Amino acid sequence: MKRKVLAVLLVGAMTAALTACSSSDGNSNSGNNSDSSAAIRLVNGKPEIDKQLQSLAAKYKEETGHEVQIESIGGDTSASDALKTYFQSDNMPDIFVSETNQFANWEGNLADLSGEKWTENTQYEYVDSKMGTIGFPYQVEATGLAYNADVLEKAGVDPKTLTSPAKIQEAFEKIDSKKSELGLTAVVGYCAEPANLGWSTGTHIFGQYLDAGLKADDTKYIDLLNDGGKIDDARMQKFADFIGLLNKYSDKALLVDGTYDNQVGNFAKGEYAFVTQGSWIGASLTTNENYKGFKVGFAPYAFDDGIDTIIAGPSSYWAVYSKGNVDAAKAFLQWCSEDSAQNILVNDAGLISPFDNCKYTPSDPFAANVIEYMQAGKTSGWHTFLKKTGLENETCQVFADYAKGSIDSKGFVDKISKVISGYYAE
Amino acid sequence: MNMLSPGRKITSLVCLIAGAVSMVAALVMDFSNSENAARGPLLIIGALLIIAGLYFFPTLKHHRTIINVLFLFPLLFTFAVTVIIPLFLGLFYSFTDWNGIQMTKFVGFENYIKMFKQPSFIWSILITALFVIFNMILVNLVGFLLALLCTSKIKGVAFFRASYFLPNLIGGIVLGYIWQFIFANVLTKLLNQQYSWLAETGTAFLAIIIVYVWQYAGYIMLIYITGLTQVPGDVIEAASIDGANGSQMLFLIKIPMIASTFTICTFLTLTSAFKQFDVNLALTKGKGSLDFMDTYLSNGTEMLALNIYQTATKQDNYSLGQAKAVLFFIILASVSILQVRISNKKEVEM
Repeated sequence: MKRKVLAVLLVGAMTAALTACSSSDGNSNSGNNSDSSAAIRLVNGKPEIDKQLQSLAAKYKEETGHEVQIESIGGDTSASDALKTYFQSDNMPDIFVSETNQFANWEGNLADLSGEKWTENTQYEYVDSKMGTIGFPYQVEATGLAYNADVLEKAGVDPKTLTSPAKIQEAFEKIDSKKSELGLTAVVGYCAEPANLGWSTGTHIFGQYLDAGLKADDTKYIDLLNDGGKIDDARMQKFADFIGLLNKYSDKALLVDGTYDNQVGNFAKGEYAFVTQGSWIGASLTTNENYKGFKVGFAPYAFDDGIDTIIAGPSSYWAVYSKGNVDAAKAFLQWCSEDSAQNILVNDAGLISPFDNCKYTPSDPFAANVIEYMQAGKTSGWHTFLKKTGLENETCQVFADYAKGSIDSKGFVDKISKVISGYYAE
Repeated sequence: MNMLSPGRKITSLVCLIAGAVSMVAALVMDFSNSENAARGPLLIIGALLIIAGLYFFPTLKHHRTIINVLFLFPLLFTFAVTVIIPLFLGLFYSFTDWNGIQMTKFVGFENYIKMFKQPSFIWSILITALFVIFNMILVNLVGFLLALLCTSKIKGVAFFRASYFLPNLIGGIVLGYIWQFIFANVLTKLLNQQYSWLAETGTAFLAIIIVYVWQYAGYIMLIYITGLTQVPGDVIEAASIDGANGSQMLFLIKIPMIASTFTICTFLTLTSAFKQFDVNLALTKGKGSLDFMDTYLSNGTEMLALNIYQTATKQDNYSLGQAKAVLFFIILASVSILQVRISNKKEVEM
C-alpha cells in the first residue's frame, strides 16, 4: 500500500514538473506577435540613457495610452549579439538599435520606413538601396580632436585655425612649452590600448582616415576599402604622420596601457588640452566631480592641408522589425521626432537632435560647437561603421604598436595595409 | 491487475491517438506561426495523454520498462534539449553560411578548410598547446608544493589553506580586471618599466600564465591535500622507524601512494587550461602583435576558446566559429576519453 502511495506521489510530482516546464514554454510563445493595442518593445544600445528612455516611454503612455517597454543592452555585451539570441528564441523586439554594417544581416526582416512624416525633417535617416529607409536617427554624435577651449585660449591658440598639420603641430608645440603654466599633464590624451579601447582607435580614429575633410555623402575611401581592403597610400601616410604627432604629445602614462575612465577623467580635470574622443564624453564630463565647467569643442583631424570637417551623424539607428508590431512602432517613432519626445531626448538625455524642426538646444557641452559645424555644412559621415565587421579588432593593434614605438609611420602604413587586405581576403 | 481488461486496451489506444493528434496539431500551429493561444495547453494535454496511454498500454511483460522510461523521461528530455540537440545543431550550422540570424546555403566543408588557412587560428592552436603544457606543469608543481606546506605542522595552516584557495572563488573576469590594474599601475612602478606587461605579446602571455596559476593552484592544492592526508599513518610511521629522511619519505612513500591523485590533477589542469577563456578575455582580449607565417597577426595572446568566440561575435561569422568549435569539441572529447581510459587502468592496478 505504502509503495503504491509513493508511486502515485512520484507520478504526480513528475507530471507537475512536466506541466510546469511546458506551460512556461507555451506562455512565452503566445506572448509574441500581439495585436496593435499591446505594448511594443524597444531594445536600446545605450545603457547610459536608459533612465531617460524610461521616462520617454512613460510620457508616451501618458499622451497616447500605448505602452512601450525599454530594454537596455550595452557595456561588454553588444546589442547585436543579444539581438541574435532574441531572434533565435523568437523573442524579437519591435524596435531595435543597429549599426550600419549590421543592417545587411537583417535583410528581409526590416520594415521600410520611407514616406513617414519624420523623414521630411531630417537628412540623417539611413537609406539602403535594396531595403529602403530602414534606420530612424535618434541622435547625432560627433567626433574630432576634442579640445578644452579655456586652455587653448590661455595658451593663445585659436581652434578655428587648426586646419592643417603644420598648424596643429605648431599649436601642440606652443601648448607643450607652457604645460606647467597651464596646469597640464600632457597636450593630448590619446590612448591606443587595444584590448578595451580598440573601438576608439580601430573604429573612430581610423574613421578619420576614411572621412575627414570629405562631404557627408562622399564615400570615396570607404568604397575603396570595401573593394577588397584597398587603401590610399598617400592619404594613409599623412594620417600616419598625424597619429605620430598624437603619439609624441600624448600622456605617456595613458598612451599604451591607459583606460577610458582615465582618459576622460583626466580631460575633465583639465589635465589635457586635447582628447581623442567624441561628443559622447559630454555626459561623463558634466557629471565628473573635477569638471570646472570649461568650454569644449572639436578641432578637425587636419592630417592634410585644408581638412576642416569633423565627423558627425548618427552612429547607430533604430530599426523596425518587420514581423513585429510595425504600425505601432511607426507611430512611436513619429512621436519621437515630435516636440514632447524631443524635449526629453535633447534636454534630459543630452542627445543632439538629428531633426531640423527641433527647437531645443542640448545641455551637452559639445552640442553648441557640433551644431555650428552642422549648420556650416562642415560635417563628414560616419562611414567607418560600413567597414567589414570586426576590422577594428585587427587595426587597433597596429595603432598600439605605433604608440609603443615598435613601428614608425612607414611601418604603420605598411602593417595597416597588410592587416586590412588580409582581413578582407578572409 | 494481472488480467488485461478490454476496457484498458481501448483507454490506452484512445489516449495515445488523441494525444498524438493534439500534439501534432499544436506543433503544426506553432510552426505555421499561428496566433491561436490554445496551442500551448494543447501541446501539454497531448503530452499528458500520451503518457497516460503508455501507462495503460496493454502489456504485462513490458509494463515495468515503460514505467522506468516514463520516470527517466524528464531527465532525458532536459538533457536532449540542453546538450544533444545543440550539439547536432552546431554540427549542422558548421556546414552552412549561418551568420547568427539566418542561413542561405550549405557550404560543405568550406568553413573547415578556411579555418586551417587562417594563420591567426593556427597561432591560436599553437599558443593554446603551449599554454596547456606550461600550465599542466606549473599548476601541478605549485599546487603540490602548497599542499605539502599546508599538510606540514606549521602554525596557521588553516589560514594558509583558505588564502591559497581564495583566488579560485573569485570569478575569472574580476580576477582579470584586478590583475590588469596591477600590471598597468603597480608592476610598472615596482620594476620601473615604461609599459604594462600586457602591452607586449611575450610578456602578456607570461602574465596570463601567472594569473591562471595563481587562480587555479589553490584548487589543485586542495585535491593534493586530500590525497596526502589519505596516505595511511602506519606506512609513514614504519618508514620513519626505518630511518627514511624527508626527501625519501616524499619521493618513495608519499608520491607513489598518491599516484592516482596526480593523474586526476593532470587531466583536470589539462582540460581546464584548454578551455581557458575568462582570464584571457579580461586581461588582453587576445590582443598582441606578432609576425607569423609571413603575416602580421593582431591576436598574439588569443587562445582557442576566445578565438572561437571572437570569430563568431566580433567578426560576425557564426558558422566559421561553429566549425572551430567542432574541432575544439573533438580535441576535448579525445582528451576526456583518454583520461577515462587511463584512470580506469590505474584503478585496476591498485
